[in-house]
Amino acid sequence: MASDAILLEARGISKVFGGLRAVDDVSLQVREGTIHALIGPNGAGKTTFFNAISGFAFPERGQVTFRGTDVTRTLNWRRVAMGMGRTFQTPSIFPELTVDENVRLGVRAHAKQAFHLRTPGGAAKAAVDGRVDELLGFVNLTAQRDRQLSELAHGSQRLCEIAMSLSTDPVLVLLDEPMAGLAEAETDRIMGVIRDLRLRLGLTVLFVEHNMRVVLSLADRITVLDRGKLLAEGTPAEIAANEAVRSAYLGEGVLDHV
Amino acid sequence: MKARTELIASAAVVMVFAAGPVLSPLAHLDISIVSEVLVTSIAVMSVNLLLGYTGLPAFGNAAYFGLGAYGVALSVKYLDVNFIESILIGIAAAFLGGLILAPFLLRRRGIYFGLLSIAFGQVFYFIAYRYTDVTGGEDGMNVPRPPLALPSAHVAVNELAMYYLALVLFVVAVIMFRGLVRSPFGRTLIAIRQNETRARYLGLNTDRFIFVALLISATMAGLSGAMFALLINFADPLRLDWHQSGYFVLSMILGGAGTVWGSLVGAFIYVIGHDIISTITQWWQIFLGALFVACVLFFPRGILGTVDVLLRRSPQAFTDDDVDAAFEAHAPGEVGRGV
Repeated sequence: MASDAILLEARGISKVFGGLRAVDDVSLQVREGTIHALIGPNGAGKTTFFNAISGFAFPERGQVTFRGTDVTRTLNWRRVAMGMGRTFQTPSIFPELTVDENVRLGVRAHAKQAFHLRTPGGAAKAAVDGRVDELLGFVNLTAQRDRQLSELAHGSQRLCEIAMSLSTDPVLVLLDEPMAGLAEAETDRIMGVIRDLRLRLGLTVLFVEHNMRVVLSLADRITVLDRGKLLAEGTPAEIAANEAVRSAYLGEGVLDHV
Repeated sequence: MKARTELIASAAVVMVFAAGPVLSPLAHLDISIVSEVLVTSIAVMSVNLLLGYTGLPAFGNAAYFGLGAYGVALSVKYLDVNFIESILIGIAAAFLGGLILAPFLLRRRGIYFGLLSIAFGQVFYFIAYRYTDVTGGEDGMNVPRPPLALPSAHVAVNELAMYYLALVLFVVAVIMFRGLVRSPFGRTLIAIRQNETRARYLGLNTDRFIFVALLISATMAGLSGAMFALLINFADPLRLDWHQSGYFVLSMILGGAGTVWGSLVGAFIYVIGHDIISTITQWWQIFLGALFVACVLFFPRGILGTVDVLLRRSPQAFTDDDVDAAFEAHAPGEVGRGV
């Protein structure tokens, strides 16, 4: 399924916080149809880099190209309209709304109905209802659709957030530590969903992750950051064998089982 | 609340107010005070839309309220307008005010939005205060009620007519407000309050929604201010002052932020409370303050917000099955059917 087309390209991204170079001249290419992982020890600048790509915070230097267009300074909601979806380390959701409404808001936004002063009826309503059903089915939250999202467990909230990020029909999904704070069983479930993003929906995925078991079993390509700099890039096998990566992770024991 | 219960309760409230001219003497209330409740609650609703629903600290809505009042006062004094025209000019003045201020406000959030709103309100306050030749300055302006627009006769608008006009406008405002907050647009405003970042990552230009919400809010506050000036036959700079904005915010919080009928409850307590207590002591604000403190401490959701929670079915208790259902019903790889 992987093609050679570059969907997202970041070149020479730099971001400074105070005196700290959180990200220093990092480049990365995400090819269409791949599952690409972004890894690195704590404080490596993964999330900062992610934020630059997704328009959450603009970089000081560098260029981000998405689907052949320069989006370095494009507002986040415009990037979403261009086909980029994202989730956050702490699920970014509407806690006091129901699961259904959380997803529906995105579907409506994409169907250009968010501004309507009346709930549309007929075909327009049926299209939205159908899409909401599909997305809830995809993450298997149909049974909980009328529950307030804050009542659900952390893992379910994250699944709902993934459904929300899909509601705008993206071609690229950015997942920021999708397994953070989840139990083993939940991790497996989310891994299944990420595989399905590509297998069933044909999407490209870029995700930040700590858990090496997850990264090595999911990713086609891995980019490693360390202290704000690009440390290595390659296939899981190359990364696992890379001396620099091993020493960056030294003491954390994360590569021991490889 | 169930739809039928809500409809019956709403109809009952409107019926009670429809009988207002008969009931208010029994409570020793002047009918014009009850008119004031209805008119004020429209301004409280305008704050509720921004603060209660969208989460924007609308601490300067008196600017639009006062523009509505001065729009009426100035048009009555300097133009030969009838009753309806004067109200329309008041609303137009507030709408224009919103149109001018909105571009400055719509990118501000949180305390910056609140402070800037207050500052803009004070600008209008000082204009009205200083531009004595036109506005009468601190002394304010008398607003004789212009005759109703009728083709042949000039019909005067009496207190009873004012009351029923206020009631009709209030009912229309409630119906439209309820429709608005339940519409896709209104749900998006609520989403912006809960998590604006996520709203933007759903591809929504939230500034655009806030712009429209500001204009709707300004228009409502303008209608309220226009009616208010015609009701008390007076407009003065204090209608534009930040104290006035504060009373709207207090009323909203007392009644219940983010509830449709809370604005009426809050306005009722504020206007009637002010009317009764201020005849007993000039320190009436102490009582309002105490009530507000008690409300924030014990009913942070306000009166109707608390009733809403009590009426709502208590949340289902967690069970392990429940929580894990999404994870265990299907093995990985089996999921995703239907997309």
